[in-house]
Amino acid sequence: MSQMTEDDIYRTSTQYRLWSFTRESLASLRSTTNASAADGVRAAIRSQRTGHAGSGTAREGSNQKPSDPSKEVDCLTVEEEQKLVGFYCVKAIQFADFCEFPTNVKATAVQYLKRFYLSNSPMTYHPKEMMAAALFLSTKTENHYTSLRSFASKLPKTTPESVVAPEFLLTQGLRFTFDVRHPHRGLEGGVMELLALAHGKGQADPESKRSSEQIQEEMVDIQPAKESSKKSRSADDVVRRIQAAHGKAKEVGKSSALLTDAYFLYTPSQIWLSSLFLADEPLTRFYIDTKIPKPSTLKTKLITTLQACAKLLGSSASANPGEAEIKALTKIDKKLFKCRNPEKVDLVGINKAQKRDSEGTGDNGLDEKVIKKRKMEREKSEKEAEDIFGPTLAKEPK
Amino acid sequence: MAISPVVTYDATSNIKVTATKAKSLAVRTNSISNAPNAPPSKPEKGRELAERLNDETKQKYVKDKKLGEGTYAIVYLGHLRADHSSLLAIKKIKVNTEYRDGLSMDAIREVKHLQELSHPNIIALHAVFSSKNQNLNLVLEYLPLGDLEMLIKDSEGIRYGTAEVKAWMGMLGRAVWFCHENFVLHRDIKPNNLLIAADGEVKLADFGLARSFSDPYRPMTYQVITRWYRPPELLFGARFYSGAVDVWSMGTVFAELILRFPFVAGNTDVHQLELICNAIGTPTEENWPGVSKLEGFLKYDKAATIPVRGKDFYLSKFGTAGPVGVDLLMSMLALDPRKRCTARQVLEHKWWSSDPRPTAKEYLPKKGGGAERMGEDLKRRGGEIEDGRGEKVARKLNFDVGKS
Repeated sequence: MSQMTEDDIYRTSTQYRLWSFTRESLASLRSTTNASAADGVRAAIRSQRTGHAGSGTAREGSNQKPSDPSKEVDCLTVEEEQKLVGFYCVKAIQFADFCEFPTNVKATAVQYLKRFYLSNSPMTYHPKEMMAAALFLSTKTENHYTSLRSFASKLPKTTPESVVAPEFLLTQGLRFTFDVRHPHRGLEGGVMELLALAHGKGQADPESKRSSEQIQEEMVDIQPAKESSKKSRSADDVVRRIQAAHGKAKEVGKSSALLTDAYFLYTPSQIWLSSLFLADEPLTRFYIDTKIPKPSTLKTKLITTLQACAKLLGSSASANPGEAEIKALTKIDKKLFKCRNPEKVDLVGINKAQKRDSEGTGDNGLDEKVIKKRKMEREKSEKEAEDIFGPTLAKEPK
Repeated sequence: MAISPVVTYDATSNIKVTATKAKSLAVRTNSISNAPNAPPSKPEKGRELAERLNDETKQKYVKDKKLGEGTYAIVYLGHLRADHSSLLAIKKIKVNTEYRDGLSMDAIREVKHLQELSHPNIIALHAVFSSKNQNLNLVLEYLPLGDLEMLIKDSEGIRYGTAEVKAWMGMLGRAVWFCHENFVLHRDIKPNNLLIAADGEVKLADFGLARSFSDPYRPMTYQVITRWYRPPELLFGARFYSGAVDVWSMGTVFAELILRFPFVAGNTDVHQLELICNAIGTPTEENWPGVSKLEGFLKYDKAATIPVRGKDFYLSKFGTAGPVGVDLLMSMLALDPRKRCTARQVLEHKWWSSDPRPTAKEYLPKKGGGAERMGEDLKRRGGEIEDGRGEKVARKLNFDVGKS
């Protein structure tokens, strides 16, 4: 008989193989991405200034000496990129709620965005456009398909073309892995187990030699979540306590678990246990004791990991940015306007061109008309880009 | 939950499991965390990281001749650039044909699930890359010996018995168990989706209709699984179902392996139900509580009701499987999905440990399907039946919100 544990199965997942990091490797990946995008932006802007505009010639542009080094572009820092992406992750959640999409659709969309921006910079691709594409892709991968037309009609200033134009870039940035493992189902399972214990129907690890009734009685005596909270007096109180913790943990699962780097740093089971830990630590410790009754290095390691993850989950800014944050974001977006890669602004145009190229003319078959038309489209969308951020921000509640 | 009930025939199987997995993991693209090691300041500053990684993957493979072309995909024979003796199948999915909503659901489903499932009885996806015109290319393991359908149909040339059926069913059972253990429903199990590797191993392929288990109360579409292999609950329009749908398909494949022709081959959905009633029994509230509440339930005349067939009936039809084998078959073909056995229970059944022992895969009968047959099998879209085997079943997936 061969044995395969749940851990073994998790380790075969792409989430583990491609999308799990240490804090250090994550930071290093982000700074590499930022540096390489900044290089790209500077090269593209230089070649535009020297009059070699147009997507065909820009690549060779990097070989040229900068025409005027004093006019070097001020690029976004990693922190600024992070803030901006974070803001659009919040936006994605809000739009998903507006469209009444289920939790897995919005949670997956947010992870798609976060994964995409590990190897791409907002200076190259604006998160506003990627957000719509990520949300649409996740309706497909999470089996909640909505037609493109009706999806686009729900978002302001969005056309079906602009939703799917970045989809290919997105899937490439996701390295063609679409499965995201979430903590939400695991939490439901854990809560069911806790409720069974509270009802005197649960079971602990056989080593602990405690009967279901004993556990039920012990649960009444678990110290309160906070010093201020009331002590439980009955099994019914325990049930209410579990329900309250469940509600809080669920909230964490829908907000900070998605918005922080938790998915990159921890496994889904660590995340849901940490959410519960954050909601009611004594209750969670009791639950863990029923699984691992005796002190062990495994248990110590587990608790340490959960504490670190709970700290991360508890630290996250609220889902609704305050006035100061909005101000900071507006400033970043103004800065971004000056350091966007001019070659990548018109995604709809680029997408069309790529498909057109593949249809026959080959690589060099672009005629003058097409180039001119594309340039016009680009200039038009550059103009539109000026108000891409402002109005939506102003409408932000509170 | 932790211990797998995978049935293994001999001590070496375990080692093979690990070896196959290790191989498939190694061939798959490197972790993105290695990306910073790639020199970022090559003279191609305009190129982006993701693009470069994609090109690196693309460079590893070479496409050789075309094996087959369908509306959905073109299949090529290929090899590793570094090793000309390595054989691979490269399935190029045609993007942007009739479908205007970006990447199609078939492609998404297939890529999503095959990226996650690595198991010796599931076709291995080594890598995915895009060519510059935005077409997706799936690099799949090469399975040159055709599929189970070919073996079943060649009753003149290919002879096999219970030991062989047991070997094939064991491999199918482990594949389905592994899908379900990973919360994936295959939803298109049939003999021509069971491809055969050079060493005789059976591999479940075509995940174009697969999906993750739905959350409770979230409806799914019932327009899945090729009709002859479709369970009664889907024919009755059930929107909430489980791994039991795949187990039914497994049961019909089991029956077909023994009979050497499809067990219940209806021309229409109604005809299919009629054949199921005749072969297995009429679904009623007594043998399947709640069945009459299903949207598409067809009420049958009391007089015309056929009682659920007993073991004698199965023994007369499938006697070669022996009483224990018949017992397994019956539990896979239970009308009520709640009474049907699970994939895990299939593997735990005592048939596997009773005589005869399953044939070792190197001694299984083979028929050179060749590369072309693989091309034919892979270019298909889920739910299609080949010409000459009943009429084509055009797929009508209802992609309404929340019902896929």
